[in-house]
Amino acid sequence: MFEARLLRSSILKKVLEAIKDLLTQATFDCDDNGIQLQAMDNSHVSLVSLTLRADGFDKYRCDRNISMGMNLGSMSKILKCAGDKDTVTMKAQDNADTVTFVFESPNQEKVSDYEMKLMNLDLEHLGIPETEYSCTIRLPSAEFARICRDLSQFGESMVISCTKEGVKFSATGDIGSANVKLAQTASIDKEEEAVVIEMDEPVTLTFACQYLNYFTKATSLSPQVQLSMSADVPLVVEYRIQDIGQIRYYLAPKIEEEDS
Amino acid sequence: MGILGLSKLIADIAPHAVKEMEIKNYFGRKIAIDASMSLYQFLIAVRSEGAQLTSVDGETTSHLMGTFYRTIRLVENGIKPVYVFDGKPPELKSHQLNKRAERREEAEKELQKATEAGDQSQIEKFNRRLVKVTKQHSEEARQLLKLMGIPVVEAPCEAEAQCAALVKAGKVYGTATEDMDALTFGADVLLRHMTFSEARKMPVQEFHLSSVLKGLELEYKEFIDLCILLGCDYCGSIRGIGPKRAIELIRQHRSLDEVLRNIDTTKYPPPENWDYEEARKLFLEPEVRNPSEIEIKWTDPDEEGLVKFLCGDKQFNEERVRNGAKKLMKARTGTTQGRLDGFFKVLSTTPNPKRKAEEEKKSAANKKAKVGGRGRRPK
Repeated sequence: MFEARLLRSSILKKVLEAIKDLLTQATFDCDDNGIQLQAMDNSHVSLVSLTLRADGFDKYRCDRNISMGMNLGSMSKILKCAGDKDTVTMKAQDNADTVTFVFESPNQEKVSDYEMKLMNLDLEHLGIPETEYSCTIRLPSAEFARICRDLSQFGESMVISCTKEGVKFSATGDIGSANVKLAQTASIDKEEEAVVIEMDEPVTLTFACQYLNYFTKATSLSPQVQLSMSADVPLVVEYRIQDIGQIRYYLAPKIEEEDS
Repeated sequence: MGILGLSKLIADIAPHAVKEMEIKNYFGRKIAIDASMSLYQFLIAVRSEGAQLTSVDGETTSHLMGTFYRTIRLVENGIKPVYVFDGKPPELKSHQLNKRAERREEAEKELQKATEAGDQSQIEKFNRRLVKVTKQHSEEARQLLKLMGIPVVEAPCEAEAQCAALVKAGKVYGTATEDMDALTFGADVLLRHMTFSEARKMPVQEFHLSSVLKGLELEYKEFIDLCILLGCDYCGSIRGIGPKRAIELIRQHRSLDEVLRNIDTTKYPPPENWDYEEARKLFLEPEVRNPSEIEIKWTDPDEEGLVKFLCGDKQFNEERVRNGAKKLMKARTGTTQGRLDGFFKVLSTTPNPKRKAEEEKKSAANKKAKVGGRGRRPK
């Protein structure tokens, strides 16, 4: 028996909004510790890793580890049926081939349940090596979303370069070029609005704007976003979800063409 | 012509070995393309009002049109194509080739009949059957590819075998062909529908030899025997044994020799002088050029050369040719998107536990059937 209850459905709704454009289907791995989801997009360029800890749920019970393959489009449709303030409960029997979502309105007057068929998915689990990153940048998530949106008008790819002066985002294309520089915030009054850069070595990497724009769909989950970079390894974009977990996106950089 | 009914058999028995992908997922991949196969495709498919495209003096240009635009489509999707051309056909194939010649003659007769009767749809049908890739076609295609900056590899013998060798050596990611024998030649990744027109919106089918073998529960050598039994280009097959029976027999007896020893040859007579051992050898040790000696290099397209070659007599639109050359050029500059597979290791592919249970049930049932069978299972 698996049962997980969240007081506010909005978290789950936002999580789904944050992944459903990248992934069409994914497996939710549930065990004692909570819910995990790890999946690559079809072209194996980006990876989503989602963790929702058991202690972040209002009620959490998982007698036997279960993996539920879900069609994220269908799941999103179901979650759209829930009000933002509704309580949501996910339920599944051991070895079940369906999962049930129960929505309860705050005054308990309306209870709706939706059953969804699970899918038979076999997915590749990727081992993500522990990496020490040369640069980590924390900035307001809305700011990051804005930069990605603005720069994607100029070109397909965006260069992120981090030096001790600050971080620079740039794009070049047919109409011209665009540069956005962010310096470290001098005094931190509000932690949520700060730009904090930790750097051991300067790094410059190129990424596809399209994917970054998919990642920023998670903006509403967290006021801050953290970017971690090292030369020649994937970028990590992390959004912490308050009290319950985090969502991490990995994105393979674009590489200079070797002459062949 | 490939292996008779193999793709259907795989789809039935090992559906997980086939993946459907969008063409854009192959960005950055090097792909070996069986040239004669695709030229044939173009001659059949690239037509206007049922007739092949021709130059001023009536020479066919369908193959050039296809090669030009469909290669550009691949390149625009970030794919790096290598075309592999056939050399001389292996001796074993002569029988098959004779048969094809006979069929052409028949089609020719039918065409005459249809023309006399004035039946348009029939004329078209037999016209298509008469299509043949000539030396001149492939020579022109070679010239065109060279101008486009696309590498060409000359196979000493069968192109599929050479493609497979390139895949095995890691020179390319996979081979794009419609013929299933690339798998029999040991190519680990076979891509179908790669060179189809964009308008058809056909997803690319990706076959992995390792998952095919796993799905069919066969070793590679047993798989070759299965292909021979199904019917290949190099020797005949046993009449009355269809795909279903073929896989059963191979699974039970594990080799063609044992199959022959165990089946009732009066009921299922093998072809006279059946040279399946030679065919098997041809699949295992085909005549190919050593992949490590082959240098595959993409170069800048020659825009002026393309215009000179395609426009004028061959009646291509100059503006479109120049546009195409620009597209090729654009794809050469800039960066390539990396993949995560290169950075992270696949720890495990976990099949869904439920499905695994089902499969186990199935294979248990199979084992029972084997015990009940009359043959012993040599190992």
